[in-house]
Amino acid sequence: MAKSKADLLQGTLDLLILKTLELEPMHGWGVTQRIQQVSESVLQVNQGSLYPALHRLEERGWIRAFWGSSENNRQARFYELTARGRKQLVAEKESWLRLSGAVARIVGT
Amino acid sequence: MNRLSSIFRFLFRRGRFEGELAAELREHYERQAEQNMARGMSRTEAVRQAAILVGGAEQLKDDCRDARLGRWIETLLQDVRYGLRVLARNPGFSLAAILTLALGIGANTAIFSLVYGVLLRPLPYLHGEQLVVLHQDASKANVLDFPFSVKELSDYSSRNHTLQGVAEHHTMNFLLIGKDTAERVETAVVSANFFDVLGVKPLLGRTFVAADEAPGGPAVLILSYQYWQTHQSGDPHIVGKVFQMNNRPHSVIGVLPPIPQYPVESDVYMPTSQCPMRSSAKFIANRNGRMMNAFGRLKPGVNLAQARADLAVIGANMAKAYPGIYLAADGYRIRADGLRDDLTERARTMFLVLLGVVGFVLLAACANVANLFLARLLKLERELAVRSALGAGKARLMRQLLTESVLLAVGGGLAGVALAPLALRVLTGFAGRFTTRAAEVRMDAPVLLFTFLVSVGTGIVFGLAPVLTTRGWLGTAFQQAAARGTASRGRSRLRSALVVAQVAFSVILLAAAGLMIRSFVKMQQVQPGFVPDRLVTMRISPGMPPYTLKTARLLVDRVLDRIKTVPGVESAAMATTFPFNPAGLASGPSHVQYIVDGRPRGSGEPTVTSDIRVLTAGYFETIRQPIVKGRSFSQQDCEATSPGVVIINQTLARNQFSGEDPIGKRVSFDGGKHWAEIVGIAGDVREYGVNQPAAGEIYGALQGDGFINRLVVRTGGHAETEARMIRAAIHELDPLVATDQVQTVEHAEYESLAPPRMMTFLMGIFAGLALLISASGIAAVMALSVSQRTREIGVRMALGAPQGSVVGMVLRQGIVLTLAGIVAGTFCAAMLTKLLASMLYGTSPTDLATFAAIPVVFLLVAAIACFVPARQATSIDPLTALRQE
Repeated sequence: MAKSKADLLQGTLDLLILKTLELEPMHGWGVTQRIQQVSESVLQVNQGSLYPALHRLEERGWIRAFWGSSENNRQARFYELTARGRKQLVAEKESWLRLSGAVARIVGT
Repeated sequence: MNRLSSIFRFLFRRGRFEGELAAELREHYERQAEQNMARGMSRTEAVRQAAILVGGAEQLKDDCRDARLGRWIETLLQDVRYGLRVLARNPGFSLAAILTLALGIGANTAIFSLVYGVLLRPLPYLHGEQLVVLHQDASKANVLDFPFSVKELSDYSSRNHTLQGVAEHHTMNFLLIGKDTAERVETAVVSANFFDVLGVKPLLGRTFVAADEAPGGPAVLILSYQYWQTHQSGDPHIVGKVFQMNNRPHSVIGVLPPIPQYPVESDVYMPTSQCPMRSSAKFIANRNGRMMNAFGRLKPGVNLAQARADLAVIGANMAKAYPGIYLAADGYRIRADGLRDDLTERARTMFLVLLGVVGFVLLAACANVANLFLARLLKLERELAVRSALGAGKARLMRQLLTESVLLAVGGGLAGVALAPLALRVLTGFAGRFTTRAAEVRMDAPVLLFTFLVSVGTGIVFGLAPVLTTRGWLGTAFQQAAARGTASRGRSRLRSALVVAQVAFSVILLAAAGLMIRSFVKMQQVQPGFVPDRLVTMRISPGMPPYTLKTARLLVDRVLDRIKTVPGVESAAMATTFPFNPAGLASGPSHVQYIVDGRPRGSGEPTVTSDIRVLTAGYFETIRQPIVKGRSFSQQDCEATSPGVVIINQTLARNQFSGEDPIGKRVSFDGGKHWAEIVGIAGDVREYGVNQPAAGEIYGALQGDGFINRLVVRTGGHAETEARMIRAAIHELDPLVATDQVQTVEHAEYESLAPPRMMTFLMGIFAGLALLISASGIAAVMALSVSQRTREIGVRMALGAPQGSVVGMVLRQGIVLTLAGIVAGTFCAAMLTKLLASMLYGTSPTDLATFAAIPVVFLLVAAIACFVPARQATSIDPLTALRQE
């Protein structure tokens, strides 16, 4: 499928979803498109993991779902960050930057 | 809150959830298809590619549901519902399992209530953990605990830096005079700060204040809740009421709340200034005048070790200041122990042993139910195979099985909780013999929590064992669904192991119970050293005043003279106490110092002490305690003008006069001011219980003024009637002389053995329970094995095997398992019964006879248990058996 498939680290998907939803509320399809687009197709989110992840994040109270009309006037289930989700995003971002920085330093030398 | 509403939505707004989920996924799928078409695919191809990319819709939906917390609860409820249906479908299995578990859990609940109520529950006082009891001992003189004198109390109270207060307590019996009756009341004489130190607030009125304790202060009383309820009918206006006591009016100032009283239950409380003995100047000045108990409360932040160190310094200084009283050779020491530990010391070993015993019962029950469960699993194999073929995960199926076992265990727990109160009543009575905390034993939240945890734990243990130890069963399940009757080797090994374990647990319990029974039989065979039958005793209490020491002495003779005229009475005497006196059993022998004439004590030699009893002439003849040497007391010896005489028992003669003739030697109890000559040696009597070796005793004749209050009468055979006539005769002499504690010495002897009897009974019951459980376990396993080998047995019989050989085959299998269990159990028992040593009398913890008898008993039981399935095996019809499958 994907040309250069990068396996997602455990927990990274949560971070990607939260980050993507930070700008504006989005539906599931939008999330996959956005991630693919921003990562220049390096990251392709599998639907089989995306939807369970969205439900899990909703269950944890980090995102909230509502029905709205999408750009082409179709009803879709949108997700938006909650206040707790924003806090979680800050924390996860920080730990990701620390981790990726460390990995980059090791790999870079 | 959010989470709860999300769970609620998932469970109860399910249609909406599912609709939204489907819509969401369809939307994604359609967009994917549109995108594919935009990339130039044909419509069919676009839809096909989208479907591939999106993956199995149902699987995805289920993954989304799994992300929900509510899913977990839903599955659990499903499991529970399914489990209940399954259990209801197999009522025989469920009932057997629940009943077995109910017995095991019920026994544990009852015993844990006891252990928790007595040993673990915090004292019902404010910061009960701060309360300590003080003890003095002189270990080198073999005195392990002696009471405090006023001087000692005041030293410890004023010089310590670690206690908030030191309170004193002793008990007296006083007569509470009503209109024309005299009633004995158990009176606690306490310091004014007693209730403050314990942290007890009155229910009515007030507790004592310092002014109540001042010499010549007002005579005041506080009633216990119990006494107020039973004797004053809970009169709400009791405060201010006046009673006659010790010839003085006493007014009630308060009533205690309904709390257990420590150290003993009393009817009324009075301050020290009102006790004639305690308040006398002579007693207060006498550092050796000891009769009080001492309590203290630790200052906040102080621990027991610090208090002990602090008190030890005071004690050492005291010993330095009064070397003549605290002899260096006696090893004088002050001790402090937590009040709770102190109150429950005597019960601890027994209760913990019982807890261990019921633990083994539960283990045996667990093993039994695990076996039943395993047997049922075999029948379920086909169903499990089908379910797993339909996509049920291994974890899911295990969880289902575990839910069933926990359901069973909780059912057993509920039934156990219903059973426990039946046992609890008996157990509280039992506990009451060792500790006043027995009143606090009840089944409350902590006990129920314990039961719940035990039930769930039990369910997990017996549910998990079969499932886990037969790994890979899902794979074999398919094969076995096809070829039934070839039970997996692993599982039949596990079943055998469970039977062996059950037998082993039961053998351990049987060994313990057997030892207790043997020890108890030995106790009953002990000769007490006198003849208890037809002996009646009672306590006689003249009020002092109106009686004085002089007139009370005359009363002794008048009472004895009058009683000897009662029809049936053979002989009568009075004494300070009598053998097996319950009060004596609790306190043990006293330790009165004495010296022997012409035997100066070398420095560095400890004080010599003995238990002493004061008697009237005729005591030895009345109870038939033999005089083995010298003579008994005569009437002449009891005259005030006669020279002092004493009789010693054989133990004292042996310990103190080894190699010399004690008769004619003189002893003194007051450092040589008065001497009494030893005129005889009496046979040893087990004064403090048949299971207690005789202590050294000195019996003195009642001389001069004074009163001794125990009447001992040898009756003609109708103890009850004669006791009534004796009481009437005394009442006739003086209606204000109270008589109580009427009992036969035989009854006292019976009662003295109540603790070991009860303990033996309980251990016997529990061992019997375990035996029953393991016997049914053996029978069940054999029956299963027979039904599994139906075909084999059928073939054997078709080939002409005689019935006997088939029976033998089944029996042999059962007996081999039992033997393995017996060997394992005997080995464990031999190591564990050491813990019983302190409760055994004249019986070694590895008593050979007991350990030899148990295998015999067990094999017999096992043979009977195997016989039923064996008979069943012979009734197998070879034709039917071969046609099966």
